[in-house]
Amino acid sequence: MAQVSSLRIEDVDLANLDVFVQGRQHEIWRRLRAEEPIHWNPGNDRFIPFWSVTKYADLIAVSRDTTTYSSQQGISMAANPADPTTTVGAGKMMIITDPPRHVRLRRLVNKGFTPRATALLEPSVREITRKIIDDVAPRGSCDFVTDVAALLPLAVICEMMGIPQEDWPMMFELTNQGLGSEDPEYQTVPGSGPETAARSRREMFAYFARQAEERRRERRDDLVSVLVESDVDGESLSEEELLFFCQLLILAGNETTRNAISGGLLALFEHPEQRARLQHNPALLTTAVEEILRWTSPVAHMMRYVTRDTVLGGQPLRAGERVLLWYPSANRDEDVFPNANQFDVGRTPNEHIAFGIGEHFCLGASFARLELRVMFEMLLARLPDIAPAGPVDRLRSGFIGGIKHMPVQFTPQPASV
Amino acid sequence: MRVIVDRDRCEGNARCVLAAPEVFELRSDDQSYVLIEHPGEDLRPKVEEAARFCPRQAISLIEE
Repeated sequence: MAQVSSLRIEDVDLANLDVFVQGRQHEIWRRLRAEEPIHWNPGNDRFIPFWSVTKYADLIAVSRDTTTYSSQQGISMAANPADPTTTVGAGKMMIITDPPRHVRLRRLVNKGFTPRATALLEPSVREITRKIIDDVAPRGSCDFVTDVAALLPLAVICEMMGIPQEDWPMMFELTNQGLGSEDPEYQTVPGSGPETAARSRREMFAYFARQAEERRRERRDDLVSVLVESDVDGESLSEEELLFFCQLLILAGNETTRNAISGGLLALFEHPEQRARLQHNPALLTTAVEEILRWTSPVAHMMRYVTRDTVLGGQPLRAGERVLLWYPSANRDEDVFPNANQFDVGRTPNEHIAFGIGEHFCLGASFARLELRVMFEMLLARLPDIAPAGPVDRLRSGFIGGIKHMPVQFTPQPASV
Repeated sequence: MRVIVDRDRCEGNARCVLAAPEVFELRSDDQSYVLIEHPGEDLRPKVEEAARFCPRQAISLIEE
C-alpha cells in the first residue's frame, strides 16, 4: 500500500541534519518538487537561511549563469557568517572560485582528467580493485565501506598525487573529518563541526606543504609536482592556493566515489530484480553505472550566492540570498525521468546531473565512472552472493549523501592467483 | 546557425560527438572540433542536443 506522507510543507527543514541520518530527504524533495519547487528554508544556529532548488531545469539554469550565481561565498550550506569554514578558500580553492580565475586554475590540471587520460589508468584501477577484493574474499564478511568502497578511490587519487601508501589511512581519516565534520563519529573537537573541519584542513595543509617541498627539491611524475611548477597568468600558485588545490583533490577524489560505490551496492540490495538483471547480463554495466550515479548522487548540494536581484522558476530572488542546488532531487525529477523513483539498471536515456553541469562540472567524472564500472564488474563476478548483514549507518551531513558503515556477508572465496 | 566550441571550457567529454557525429570530432589534443561550422536545419536537433548536454556547456549556437 502506498504510504501517505504526513509531512507538512511548513515543517520542511533541510538545515536539520537529522533528516539525512534518518534517510527522509527524498520524501521531502519529492514533496517540494510537486508543491514548492523553490522553497525558502529557515536558518538555525549553524546555517543561514537558503532557497532549496529542487527541479532539474532550475538547477541547470543556475549552473549556467555564474555571473548571477557565484561560488565565491562558499559552496555548502555550512555558510554561517560567523563560521569561516566554507568561505576560507574563496578565490583560492578552485571549487570556490568564479570565472575567469576558475578557468585558469582548472586548466592547470584538467588534461590529466579527460576521458582519454582516464582510460589509460584502467589496468591500474583493475589491479587495485583485484587486490581490495582479494583481501576480503576469504573472510566471508566485512564492512563494505571501510574495507572495499573507500579503498579504491582513495588509492587512485593518492597514486595520482604521489602520496606514499603508508599515508593513505591518514588521508582517509582527514577526509572524513573534513567532509563529515558534522558527524559525531568523526569530530576531533567534540560537538563542533567547524572546528573539526578547520583542524582537518590545518593537518592536511601541513602535510602537503612538506610534500610540495619534496617536489621542489626533486620533481616527480605526479599531480603535486604539476601544481608546484604551475603557471597561471605568468605567476605560480601561491603556497596557500597550492595547499587548497591538494586538499580539494583529496576530498573530492575520495569521499564522492566511495559513496556511489556503497550507495550503488545498497541500491542493488534493495532492488533484487535489478540486481539479477545486471548479474545475468553484464553488458548492462554501463547503463547501471549511470543509474547508480543518478540514484545515489553523492554530492547532495552545491550552494550559490545570488549576486543581483533575479527570478528563478517564477520565484523572485534577492541579491545576497543563497540557493542550494539539490542534485539528488533534480535527478529524480518526474518531468525529466520517466518512472523517476524507480531504479532501472537499463535506463536510457539518462542525462542525470550527479556531476553537476557547466563551469564546475566534476573534474573527476571520468575517473568516477571508470572506478564504478571496474568495481561493480569485479565485485559481482567475485562475490556473486554478497548480501547485507545489518543496517547501514548514514553520515550526518546535508552535503555528502554518505554511508559510514555497511556490514555485508558472502560465501568466502579464495584470493585470486 | 553557427556552431562554436569554447576552447577554454572543452575537456574532451565527447558528448557532442555522441549527439552529432556529423558536426563534431574529438581530436588527439582532447578537444572537440567543429566539422561543419554552419550546419543545415536537418542537423539542428542533433546540434541542440550536443549543446544542451555538453557537461561543460562549452558549445554555443549562434543564429544568423
